[in-house]
Amino acid sequence: MVFSELTFLYYFLPIVMVIYFFLPTKGRNILIFITGLIFYAWGEPFYVFIMLLSTAIDYTAGRLMDRWDDDNSKRKKCLLVSVCMNVGLLAIFKYSDFITDNINALIGSDITNPVLSLNKLLNDLFDFGLNEKQVDLPIGISFFTFQSMSYTIDLYLKKIKVQKSFINFASYVSLFPQIVAGPIVRYSEVADELEERTVNLSKINCGVSMFVRGLSKKILLANNIGMIWTEIKAMDYSQISASVAWLGILAFTFQIYYDFSGYSDMAIGLGKMLGFDFPKNFDHPYISQSISEFWRRWHITMGSWFKSYVYIPLGGSRCSALKTYRNLIIVWALTGLWHGASWNFVLWGLYFGVLVIIERIGWGKILEKLPSPARIIYTFVLVVFGWVLFDTDTIGDAASYFAAMFGAGNGAAANSGYALYVISQNIPLIAACVLLAGGLGSRLIDYCSRKYPKGAAAVSVPLKTAALLICTCYLADAAYNPFMYFRF
Amino acid sequence: MNNNDDIVANNKTFAAGQKKFISRAALLSVLLFFGVLIFLGAVTFFSEKESFSENANKYLADFPKITWENYFDGTVTSGIEDYVADHFAWHDSWVRAKSTIELALGRREQNGVYILKNRIVKRAEEADETILQKNLDGIRSFSEALDAPVYLMLVPTSVEIYSDELPKNAPNLDQRAFMDRVKDDLGDSVEFLDVYSAMMSQRDNYIYYRTDHHWTTLGAYTAYSAVGRKMGYEPLDETAFDIEHTEGAFNGTFYSKVLYEGIESDSIDLWHLPQSENDLTVEVYTSVDSEPEIYDSIYFRDYLSVKDKYSVFLGSNQPIVTINTGYIGGKLLIIKDSYANSYVPLLLSHYSEIMLIDLRYIQLPLDSVIDTEDYDSVLILYNVSGFSTDENLKKLGMAG
Repeated sequence: MVFSELTFLYYFLPIVMVIYFFLPTKGRNILIFITGLIFYAWGEPFYVFIMLLSTAIDYTAGRLMDRWDDDNSKRKKCLLVSVCMNVGLLAIFKYSDFITDNINALIGSDITNPVLSLNKLLNDLFDFGLNEKQVDLPIGISFFTFQSMSYTIDLYLKKIKVQKSFINFASYVSLFPQIVAGPIVRYSEVADELEERTVNLSKINCGVSMFVRGLSKKILLANNIGMIWTEIKAMDYSQISASVAWLGILAFTFQIYYDFSGYSDMAIGLGKMLGFDFPKNFDHPYISQSISEFWRRWHITMGSWFKSYVYIPLGGSRCSALKTYRNLIIVWALTGLWHGASWNFVLWGLYFGVLVIIERIGWGKILEKLPSPARIIYTFVLVVFGWVLFDTDTIGDAASYFAAMFGAGNGAAANSGYALYVISQNIPLIAACVLLAGGLGSRLIDYCSRKYPKGAAAVSVPLKTAALLICTCYLADAAYNPFMYFRF
Repeated sequence: MNNNDDIVANNKTFAAGQKKFISRAALLSVLLFFGVLIFLGAVTFFSEKESFSENANKYLADFPKITWENYFDGTVTSGIEDYVADHFAWHDSWVRAKSTIELALGRREQNGVYILKNRIVKRAEEADETILQKNLDGIRSFSEALDAPVYLMLVPTSVEIYSDELPKNAPNLDQRAFMDRVKDDLGDSVEFLDVYSAMMSQRDNYIYYRTDHHWTTLGAYTAYSAVGRKMGYEPLDETAFDIEHTEGAFNGTFYSKVLYEGIESDSIDLWHLPQSENDLTVEVYTSVDSEPEIYDSIYFRDYLSVKDKYSVFLGSNQPIVTINTGYIGGKLLIIKDSYANSYVPLLLSHYSEIMLIDLRYIQLPLDSVIDTEDYDSVLILYNVSGFSTDENLKKLGMAG
């Protein structure tokens, strides 16, 4: 199930919240666990059992680590089981097709992905109806495996206490606000709240505001600007002019930001309504003044996960320069691969890895002397180039799209007239996308609620309701409402 | 001293009042949020469910059957989502509100149509080169195998005739160029009936519906008069017809895309020949191998009371329709899309028999369905937008 959908918004959400609110505190985690399962099973009727199984294994690994408190080798084995299982799930469901294809291409063999053979066997035996052509990716698998690992790894490092209640642990994994598209909430961040949390009016109101803000970002901004990219992406890149190519990728630049950060806002808002405080996931990334800064503002929870659980264990930057660069390259290749099993994503990750290293080597120091608008433009343009790698389907497509951006296309399919037309049809939308990404919206809200707290509170009430109703108009029409993280 | 205490006390009451106000606003906003969700959810749940949407022209989803099998293949959940989306409370009003908001923000292109000042038009799409070539080959080989003359009439759609009203640079197929290209490609193999300039010269008259993708009967008449001599008949004067203005507002397919109320509804005119319907019979084949249904009028007046009013012309699209006109004349075969349905009534007095074939609903080679040699002339009649994206004309080239 996804948030930006009538069934979630008008049935799941109010029903769950009303029951939750009237339930005694003790029953609330059970409700979270059950609703999480329903929410997940809604889109993954089969894979929900895999999620349950992995939850059970991680829970058991945690309990055993706790029992063998002073036997480090046993604890290590428990951790190994948990990490292998989670990474194994990713390898099977997310990367096995990619790995097989690449082996076949490399040595010219014709191996069938063993997972597909297993699917076939299961179909023959039990008539499961599994996909035998490609492995279907369980939605959100990259999020819940990373979250579970944050528990077992931190427990091994004795940073956190064991969770003795299965319900509490399972409600953490299946917590529906963040299960399909993040943020990646670490166990340590919600450990206390899993035991005891408060739900009060101001928190619920804050959650409603965040949720409506996220919903509006997704429905009103991302979906609308995304239509521009969808049309241009489908064109023949050798026949579009440079202006069209730039327009297309800029449209995607805003689509992915408002879609992803909108999803995070909705998740954080829903978490607040349930009494949780999830970490911030996006902080105006497009006004960053360097690539390193961009990654401290974009998908913050993922970046910090890789930093804590990959980069630092590898030695981080507290080792020789050469080793540090090696660590950075590993982290960035993995970051790319995390976004999907394709060379485009690997290249996209490495691209940022190289940029971060260049900034570290000394370019960052020079950069600091430039005026900040120049630094923002520098960062933004490089990020936009990155999105070409990210959202075209093959490396070849990415190359011809880059070529089109530098004028190699002949404009037969779409030229600057088309670009002007699209812009003229979307002036308010484009203005909103640019200004809000620049931070105008949040600054205005901060200023008003500091200077005129009463007025801001009063104005926000009709504003939120209106935004909800306008989003409903768009949801009822249901023309274009994609879910973008099916490959994560 | 006292004074200071007063200020502090005042500040305290002020702060308390402010806090109270803000928490009241918070309560109101939470209640409104969940109130809207629960209210609309409940109205959707408890309201009487329609089974058919005239505006969307589709049957609405039923609630899915809940079984384990349906659960595992995902049809339960996707079925529930479709059910909620189709039956959502005041569905059409939300869509209407959306198109009004978008128009206010300056977006004229919505859901695939352009909302112009007085009408809604639809962008004609570029033809897929390979499919177009196959279609043209089909027409060519069909025509070359026949002795009877084959005429091809491509009717420009409203977006072309009123293209000057489109937003600047709006992407749109150049229909004039497309027609010329088809004409050149087919060369002498068919007789090309060019109605472009005739339609253009009548653009200030009511020749296209404002809310639908068809031409009006007046539009059809414009083409009918322009091509008569070429097709070998003397076109009747407008005054030879009894023109009936039917009752009831017609909101066509373009209207359904956006449900926008700012465009005046259409009305349908039926042009009657004074003595035509005496001996007329219409045989409608709803499939190629079924027995025909026999009617005594080319107008299916029942459709005038529903939304899909254009179907008053010959009923909805059918694979084969044969009209015995009761007049003396040759036999005409028309390979067509729905533009022909309002064109045929004008032709009755010039032919003894008119057969209409809609290739979209025929999966067999044409000569296994009818004897094409039986006809004195053949007219292929399509609108340009339908022709450029058609995938069925290639069937003309298939032999049985």
